[in-house]
Amino acid sequence: MPSVDSSLIRNFCIIAHVDHGKSTLADRLLEHTGAVSQREMKAQFLDDMELERARGITIKARAVVLYHERNGNLYELNLIDTPGHVDFHYEVSRSLACCEGAMLLVDACQGVEAQTVANALAAMEHELAIVPVLNKIDLIQARIDDVTQEIEHTLALEAEQVLRVSAKTGVGVPALLDALIDRIPPPQGDPDAPLQAMVFDAHYDDYRGAVTYVRIMNGTVRKGQKIRLLRGATTYEVLELGQFAPHRRACQELTVGQVGYLICNIKSLENVHIGDTVSVPGDQAAPPLPGYKPPQRMVYCGLYPSDGQEFSVLRDALTKLSINDPSFEFTPESSEALGFGFRCGFLGLLHMEIIQQRLEQESDVDLVQTAPNVTYEILTKKGEMLHIHRPQEVPDSGDIEEFRQPVVRVNLLQPTEYIGGVMTLCQDRRGIQVRTEYLSPTRAMLVYDLPLAEVIYDLHDKLKSVTRGYGTMNYELIGYEPADLVRLDILVNGKRVDALSFICHRIDADRRGRAVVKKLKGEIERHMFEIAVQAAIGARIIARETVPAMRKNVTAKCYGGDITRKRKLWAKQREGKKRMKSIGSVDIPQKAFLAVLDTGEGNK
Amino acid sequence: MNRRFETPRAAYVHVPFCRHHCGYCNFTVIARRDDLVDRYLQALAIELASLARPREVESLYLGGGTPSHLSPAQLCELLGRLREWFVPAGSFEFTLEANPVDMLPDRLGVMREFGINRISLGIQSFLPDKLAALERDHRQPEILRALEHVRGHVGNVSIDLIFGVPGETEDCWRRDLETLIAVRPQHVSIYGLTIERGSRFFGRVRKNQLKRLDDETERAMYLTAIDTLASAGYEHYEVSNFALPGFRSRHNEAYWTGRTYEAFGPGASRFVAGRRETNHRSVVTYLRRVMAGESPVAESEQLEPEDAARERLVFALRRIEGIDKQEFLAETGFRVHDLGGPALERFVAWGLLEDTPQTLRLTRDGLVVSDALWPEFLRQ
Ligand SMILES: Nc1nc2c(ncn2[C@@H]2O[C@H](COP(=O)(O)OP(=O)(O)OP(=O)(O)O)[C@@H](O)[C@H]2O)c(=O)[nH]1
Ligand code: SF4
Ligand SMILES: [Mg+2]
Repeated sequence: MPSVDSSLIRNFCIIAHVDHGKSTLADRLLEHTGAVSQREMKAQFLDDMELERARGITIKARAVVLYHERNGNLYELNLIDTPGHVDFHYEVSRSLACCEGAMLLVDACQGVEAQTVANALAAMEHELAIVPVLNKIDLIQARIDDVTQEIEHTLALEAEQVLRVSAKTGVGVPALLDALIDRIPPPQGDPDAPLQAMVFDAHYDDYRGAVTYVRIMNGTVRKGQKIRLLRGATTYEVLELGQFAPHRRACQELTVGQVGYLICNIKSLENVHIGDTVSVPGDQAAPPLPGYKPPQRMVYCGLYPSDGQEFSVLRDALTKLSINDPSFEFTPESSEALGFGFRCGFLGLLHMEIIQQRLEQESDVDLVQTAPNVTYEILTKKGEMLHIHRPQEVPDSGDIEEFRQPVVRVNLLQPTEYIGGVMTLCQDRRGIQVRTEYLSPTRAMLVYDLPLAEVIYDLHDKLKSVTRGYGTMNYELIGYEPADLVRLDILVNGKRVDALSFICHRIDADRRGRAVVKKLKGEIERHMFEIAVQAAIGARIIARETVPAMRKNVTAKCYGGDITRKRKLWAKQREGKKRMKSIGSVDIPQKAFLAVLDTGEGNK
Repeated sequence: MNRRFETPRAAYVHVPFCRHHCGYCNFTVIARRDDLVDRYLQALAIELASLARPREVESLYLGGGTPSHLSPAQLCELLGRLREWFVPAGSFEFTLEANPVDMLPDRLGVMREFGINRISLGIQSFLPDKLAALERDHRQPEILRALEHVRGHVGNVSIDLIFGVPGETEDCWRRDLETLIAVRPQHVSIYGLTIERGSRFFGRVRKNQLKRLDDETERAMYLTAIDTLASAGYEHYEVSNFALPGFRSRHNEAYWTGRTYEAFGPGASRFVAGRRETNHRSVVTYLRRVMAGESPVAESEQLEPEDAARERLVFALRRIEGIDKQEFLAETGFRVHDLGGPALERFVAWGLLEDTPQTLRLTRDGLVVSDALWPEFLRQ
């Protein structure tokens, strides 16, 4: 490994809105600096998780070291590719804390979008040097001048500073490398001070145990030395250390400013806390670094094993996942209808979907998911403050002094021609307009305060359809506000199904109630008796549908050859029924528990 | 005592050839490949030879496909071969499934000569539109002519009718039943059209080109059939089977009451020594295997005593007179109530099953939704 002095190190991350080409540009940098040979190269090289490749998006930030020679100096460039999706903004903020600079990528056709703004502002808050870059200039639809102007206008970055590249063709990459070296300051820090390193990520390797990702802030760490993780005050020996080049490459030491990994025979990821500080044992230890703000869970849902027996299998699977993904949390809960399971908190709906997919792929547990909801606050008449993670916990309306919901500030960016449609969309969801900003004569940003619940369910989809795909949004929690909310209960044959209760605005209650019972009617198969599906607020029924009794279900032919086939078919149906949840004598299929997501907007 | 291990007294032979492959059919069938008949007859002879010595049987059943589709010479060879291996016993029932258009004197002569004493006619309907929808090539005149010919040779006739054909009304069905009763066969099988995976209609339903009738109409048609036939003197003795007194299908009763039976031909299923086996459903594979001296069996399964008992419970309950509980215990070693458990109690309470000290049977309400009961009585 070339010995590097810290004035030749540059640490930066690539930030952008989803799909603006971060990972593709990382490919070009890997290629240009020879980190990955042409033969090894594949598109979005750093997106190596199966789910990332399947979905074509980055989910987890990835660090990689590049070497670049210029004017006789060999520079070490530590690049972190970050995800663009709003749900994974947390990954971006962790990466920012390890860098002195950020490359802000903007798609020359799409222009400045919601995540562009959010990520750029976050980088500025971290006082990083920002290198703005226009990408996809190879496309004929590229609006180079307009978008440069948007960058200048919105983010107060100078137009002359904006570089132009194509991550597809590689045009502009050499000039980009020059700019990164010239504009991003080298890391500060004292190589001789006691070791102080930031743990910014970790993963588990079946053979080596925990692999801890660190950025050295001060001092040096060497192979064989003892280290201490300050938070747990646990001491380990460094068995291996190295850098990602892009695969793990061992070396003898990591010194100030460098980014790399430590392998210390840590048997479980539970012992590694993201945001922790690595130092040395004893009284020489450096002070702990500020660490990270814990990630904010925006959405909660219940996850239950459809077979009650599998509770502990599910718990193990969740534990394993949460270790690799500390932004997701879970606590055991129980429901009358669903038995024992877990209330899980996620960064957003995409995050929820991904966790669920991973659970199913990696653990083979068949899951029942309840509809996602946000956390509410209730001030009771007795003056108690309750945090409601699930609708069942809402007390009787007589005991409620004030019902509060989380409100987010949403930035919506779109071409000006769609402003009217987007405003209607926000007003329908009880949004309060904060301001309008024009990024350029043709693009505008609307800022609204909206209930989080309205935002997570479908605002993004609706925005896309109102703006023909051109609108983007980003949101940030700003606090809780009182609202006229009610809990709606769903009764199946007169029995309340706790897992189907949901919270909504009183004005929407009738519409939502009707939509949900209608949807449930479609999900519940006919039984041998009639089934009433009702929606109620307290004791008042507001909607009702009936699943008629089964009228005919009989196989005509059953001769010699049919016997085995029929027996197997019926036995299989029995297994299928076991996987449904029985409420009274009614079998409710798993996906019915998501029926409450039906907003009934179609029949408004 | 245990029926599962007695020497079979019934045998089934599958003849897979048809003139045309009907859209609703997912049986083991091969159309327009009459060139394979001779190889089939050779293969069947080889498979039959595995019996080693002739057997006494009370029933022999030739199903299909369309056994009557064979030429008189081929029929002669087939029936002759069967008579070498099977010796009639008791009140021997020898059934052949036939297509009306094949019922010509020359074939019927061969049938009578070899002792066929029961003809099961796949008429399906007497109405031209319905027959067209079912892709059947006969119409009422051919049917009536066929019946006349059959009766000249074989006295015992069974007729199959289908209801619930897309486009059919309750009135159509009533007319079909009236014609049927006027013709007065000894035995009637009534089938609600089922469109199963593997048939061409299945794809058309999925693409919304074909619309199934709604449950309510099908239920009404089924109940109309039961009532109409009962008042015409037919006994309803199994979900879809009706007979004039003394004319129940003895062969099928063997299936439903847990008796053993031999089987030959592609796709044929046997139940011998507690084992259920099914031959390969592909005619070509069947031929290749048998010709190469290999076993044609594609699937087989040894039934545990409890599974055998559960299966028996379900299939015997499909018989209208139900289960004699004492007899069931004696023959299977299991008590009906132990196998049925709480589900059985529930179904009795809901009025779907009728439970008396001696018997357990479906009620009329239970009958029409009976498929929803069976999963509760089986285990995987
Ligand atoms: N024509 C053209 N296409 C590009 C360019 N850069 C990226 N793309 C395409 O844009 C799409 C998104 O690229 P990615 O590199 O996955 O984008 P990303 O910013 O990493 O996306 P996330 O990590 O999910 O936020 C891919 O289809 C790329 O092939 C470019 O310079 N020109
Ligand atoms: S329904 Fe009968 S005639 Fe038609 S293909 Fe099937 S077996 Fe052959
Ligand atoms: Mg990416």
